Amino acid sequence: MLFLAIRHLMSRKRQTVLIFLGISLGTMMYTIISGMQLGMREFISERLLSNTSHIKISAREQKIDRAEMTERFYGPDEAVNWITPPSGIREEAHIMYPQGWFDRLRDDPEVLGYSPTMTMNVIISKGNTKHPATLSGIVPSMHNRVMNIEKYITNGRLSALSGGGNKAIVGEAMLEKIGLKVGDTILVSSGLSEPRPLKITGTLKLGVQQIDEIIMLAALRDVQAINKTPGRITEIAVNIVDMNKAQEVADSWELTSKDKVESWEEANANFMEIFVFQDILRWTVTFAILIVAGFGIYNVLSIMITQKKKEIAILRSIGYPPKYILELFLIQGVILGITGAIIGLLGGHMINLYLSTIKLGHSGVGNILMSYSPSIYISGFLLAFVSAVLASILPAHAASKLTPLDIIRSEV
Amino acid sequence: MSLVCTDLIKEFGKPATRIIHGINLSINDGDFIAISGRSGSGKSTLLYLLSTLDQPTSGTLVIDDKDTSTFSVEALHNFRNTEVGFVFQFHYLLPELTALENVLLPARKTHQHEEKTEYAKSLFEEFEIPDKWHKFPSQLSGGEQQRVAIIRALIMQPKYLFADEPTGNLDSQNADNVMNLLKKINRERNTTLVLVTHESDYAAMARREVFLIDGRIDEIRES
Repeated sequence: MLFLAIRHLMSRKRQTVLIFLGISLGTMMYTIISGMQLGMREFISERLLSNTSHIKISAREQKIDRAEMTERFYGPDEAVNWITPPSGIREEAHIMYPQGWFDRLRDDPEVLGYSPTMTMNVIISKGNTKHPATLSGIVPSMHNRVMNIEKYITNGRLSALSGGGNKAIVGEAMLEKIGLKVGDTILVSSGLSEPRPLKITGTLKLGVQQIDEIIMLAALRDVQAINKTPGRITEIAVNIVDMNKAQEVADSWELTSKDKVESWEEANANFMEIFVFQDILRWTVTFAILIVAGFGIYNVLSIMITQKKKEIAILRSIGYPPKYILELFLIQGVILGITGAIIGLLGGHMINLYLSTIKLGHSGVGNILMSYSPSIYISGFLLAFVSAVLASILPAHAASKLTPLDIIRSEV
Repeated sequence: MSLVCTDLIKEFGKPATRIIHGINLSINDGDFIAISGRSGSGKSTLLYLLSTLDQPTSGTLVIDDKDTSTFSVEALHNFRNTEVGFVFQFHYLLPELTALENVLLPARKTHQHEEKTEYAKSLFEEFEIPDKWHKFPSQLSGGEQQRVAIIRALIMQPKYLFADEPTGNLDSQNADNVMNLLKKINRERNTTLVLVTHESDYAAMARREVFLIDGRIDEIRES
């Protein structure tokens, strides 16, 4: 029936082209929207999520509790009305017993590696100007086992920080903003201590302007010295064998610890929510477009069947069974679905290639980020194909139910 | 006897209205039967029953010693495809196919259309429209369209040809031509021809004329 199906489509060029355009445009829109959204997602995942360990152990802030203070100073039975209620935090958050964690992580077969970190906000002085920065103290050899930061180093090497020596690797954007170059020495202060000189030995670029303007890496012991808290850490980044079990493992560790233990999913919950929202938006738009195209196919095939009743009658009377009639109209839907999908995907791909050449100013991202993941093309094709077939089934089934005599009698 | 119907009854609707009342008829191989009668007498209904396009409410139809009620759906379709040719009042040619492609439609079902092409072209010559096979139906006259429809009915070299008012939509000249063609087919190919007509002149061309009144055989005239 392929021969006849093609002839049917060719004989009704305008309607065929309209349906074809509906499916093509639907598929094209899906490809473009998906390309953009997944492109941005891949970028975020690559630049931010890959720099997040599977599990992050961090200190809880020790907040001053009014009820606890009341009980401690006046006993449990006193009713105290504070004029100025006690508030704030007791001290800077830090992991209370890091050695306990190190022992535990070293012995755990599930753990691939861990990296103790001390992160603090600092002030950088250069001449008469001051700039805020976020300084992270790391042990390069341990950090490399957990984070993928080495690939973002644009100048120098991470291992240069090993063993301390008051060296730092800073964000490229920060270097530019402050007016520094590799080899310069800057003064870094925690705000509570005297400034300490750090020599810039390298640069890194994560590609996110806001982060690249404040990021600084140094050896853990140097950062502890700047903060005057030797041995203190604020965070332990841990990678485990199966990252999909991160939530489960984090929950079990948190049960036996006062510290905060978060999986990568929890730590990036806001991104995950954005991804879910993007998916909902993408699928909603796509379904709306394809439903319109589907109704187009349904309408045109239904009209065509009414107009082709005589042909159905003669086909049935010369021995074509109902399944052949079903095939005749279903094939037309399939042809439209396949060709519309292919042209839509090709058109979408071409537009995506063009969009990826558009520059996005000084965001640090560069061009518009597009994804060319095969999953986009496969799901786009399936969407168009399935919607075309579904829209054809009802009219095709109705056509197959027509008997030659009903049609012939209605003609006479 | 190649086609025998016994106590054939056909009813339609609810409550049932009987259109065909217990028809008994035997048709020999190579016979030419005309079914005639007034409008509403059940001529076409009887033709559809005899050609297996429709199923009787009761009664039996035996074709070549086989009871058609025992045919499977597939066997019935195959029987209509290979053993039966139909000619209707309207030509029912597919407008998007050429005359030749229309003619080869029955053969296409069994993938015989290529080997039947030469035979089809010889039929176009025999029926005096040799240069029309590549034309579309819209490019043919009414008489030519009906000839193409007859060629389509003959392409599988069927044993039976059923014609339902084949001249009903033609002028008298073309109608005469079509009737002469049908008679020629019956005579030269020994094809069993069952013709429904309300034209007494054409009915008289048959070997036997079955005259129906209200779904009953009133008279069988032999010529």
